[in-house]
Amino acid sequence: MDTILSTLVIFWALIILSYILIQKGLGVLGGITRGMTMFMLEKALGPGADLVEGRKGSGAKVWIIQGMIWLFISATLTFIGLWLGHDPNALHSLEAWGYNALSSELFYAGKFAALFGAIGMFIIGSGLHILPSLLEVDLASEKNAVLTSFAWTLSVIILIIGSQSNEIFGLNIILIGTVVNLIVATAITANQLLTKANSDVTLATPGWLIIFGLIGTPIAIISIFVSGAYNEGIGQWLAYHLFGATFWFSSIAGISLYSASFGSGNALWSRTVAGLVIFGTLFTINPLGDVHPIMAIDMLGLPSAELDITQQDNIIGSFLMALAAIPIIALSSNILITLRGTDAFVENPDLAGIPEINFGAWMLLPLGIGSLFLQTDYLSGTNELTGISNILHLMVIWTVFVPLTLGAALQVLPSASGRYPLSQNRARMAFWMLSGGAVLGLVFTLISDVTDIALAEALVEDPSSLSHTMRKAGSVVFYGTVLGAIFHANNIVSGLYRGETVKSQVALSETTFAPTSYPLTATTSIRKILASGAVLDTEVVPTFESNETGKPTPLHMEEE
Amino acid sequence: MSNDGSGKIGQFLQGEKEPSSSWVILVIGIATSLIFLVIYNILYPGQDLPVLSSLLPMFEGVFDSGIWFFVLGAMIGAFAILGTILTEATIE
Repeated sequence: MDTILSTLVIFWALIILSYILIQKGLGVLGGITRGMTMFMLEKALGPGADLVEGRKGSGAKVWIIQGMIWLFISATLTFIGLWLGHDPNALHSLEAWGYNALSSELFYAGKFAALFGAIGMFIIGSGLHILPSLLEVDLASEKNAVLTSFAWTLSVIILIIGSQSNEIFGLNIILIGTVVNLIVATAITANQLLTKANSDVTLATPGWLIIFGLIGTPIAIISIFVSGAYNEGIGQWLAYHLFGATFWFSSIAGISLYSASFGSGNALWSRTVAGLVIFGTLFTINPLGDVHPIMAIDMLGLPSAELDITQQDNIIGSFLMALAAIPIIALSSNILITLRGTDAFVENPDLAGIPEINFGAWMLLPLGIGSLFLQTDYLSGTNELTGISNILHLMVIWTVFVPLTLGAALQVLPSASGRYPLSQNRARMAFWMLSGGAVLGLVFTLISDVTDIALAEALVEDPSSLSHTMRKAGSVVFYGTVLGAIFHANNIVSGLYRGETVKSQVALSETTFAPTSYPLTATTSIRKILASGAVLDTEVVPTFESNETGKPTPLHMEEE
Repeated sequence: MSNDGSGKIGQFLQGEKEPSSSWVILVIGIATSLIFLVIYNILYPGQDLPVLSSLLPMFEGVFDSGIWFFVLGAMIGAFAILGTILTEATIE
């Protein structure tokens, strides 16, 4: 059997086994396991557990706030990476301190900060609120959730240091960061599974996506090592994409589907399509990401292997990646239609988080298809598109992952903290800066990369001035993302103390004035009227069409 | 310190009670600086500015790329976030 299929069979078997165990429980061992897990989550921490109060919602809040700070750091690192792409000597003065800044290393650090710092913390933070809400119970241990957030931040700091210099005093820094990261991830997974075990409520689809996101990555690691594919190029490539499909894609799908429904006030458009997202995420190969699995290789502490792919692996890999278009389309359409309800307009469009989710869902489809072409090109050995791999990966991070997770976090935070962001206007301004800067900045850089590829194929030796100009413009425009992250962070932090208090679960738009009357032109639901900004005192005025036939408008009335 | 005094400090930190015409002071400050530079250039043509001209050479070869303006902005942003966290947490 070939490498891809043999690894995936183990992965699928372990996923199905985990699902059965989560659903059926551990039988007589269940009680003991629950007690032991609870002990490990709180009492085993010793005096550390007394450092925090463990108030309801505190876990989600502290993860999301730290994620906001990482968002700013990751945007800054990526901006510097883009700038050094056209001006490699811009930071040469730092060499006096022994630091040689390279564009590729700054990108690498930016990816760690974005994927594990910002996106990872938004995913876990939102999940810590969403899962207990869906299960109608409290989180098993809020104290553990709060404390582990700081350990996760420490792991991201270690990973960023490792991205600049992987070996310090003979120690593999990225591997140390991964170990800390896995310990925290295990604690969070145990916390969430214990929460699930405490409830008798049937878990909705977004909740399962979050659970598979948490358990999927350790299962993927086990599968890679059991199958022996870890020291093969194709095995390492597969490991990278399994991590991407589980912790990132599955979790993001879960929190964004929940938030799209919660924020818009509409029921989830289709449970069947949401189920298709679960099935498609786990049983296909997600193409999103870089072509070189260097991040997974470094994190697992493996020596990098050459991609030596068999014909069978190529066919199966390409086939399963093509199938991944199904969950991508399903997720995008489900979010977009849920946000809109029964008409073409987004419900509650001014509420912080809704524009981000809408934007991320729009960008998911083109970037998913683009990534599919890129990965197929790489697997087939053609390598015509590998020159745009880095920029496409950055586009996936900044125009899909960040908006979807940030939008979900902005939706979840008011419920977890009890207060809205300080200003909905500032949140909307930050959205335009963050998303506009990311799209335009990275598209300009993409144009530059494509120009360079075309010139290289045509064997032109002189560098293109257009390419250089576009690269320069791209880096400057991307600075909008840094500013957007700063505005969001300030707005969120101030909102925690002085924001409007949450009075009900249905969040109305705060930037739309409550209308004094609502013109009713056709049959509608109370939910839709409330979503338009109406309050209980708003007068609903039936406005029927006239059945009279049309005639010329009289300009003056003749005197009788 | 009296309660009244701490309240005033809070108002200063938050800037919520800032007079609506405070921008006039900013405009006067910017205009005065520009007028000073113009007059200095007329009175002492070709001569370096005192103090500033002796400080600037210290940074030659250090901040010689446009990226530093953006990095400075990011640093201001970082301190703005830190400042917001500290002031919001301590205002009460």
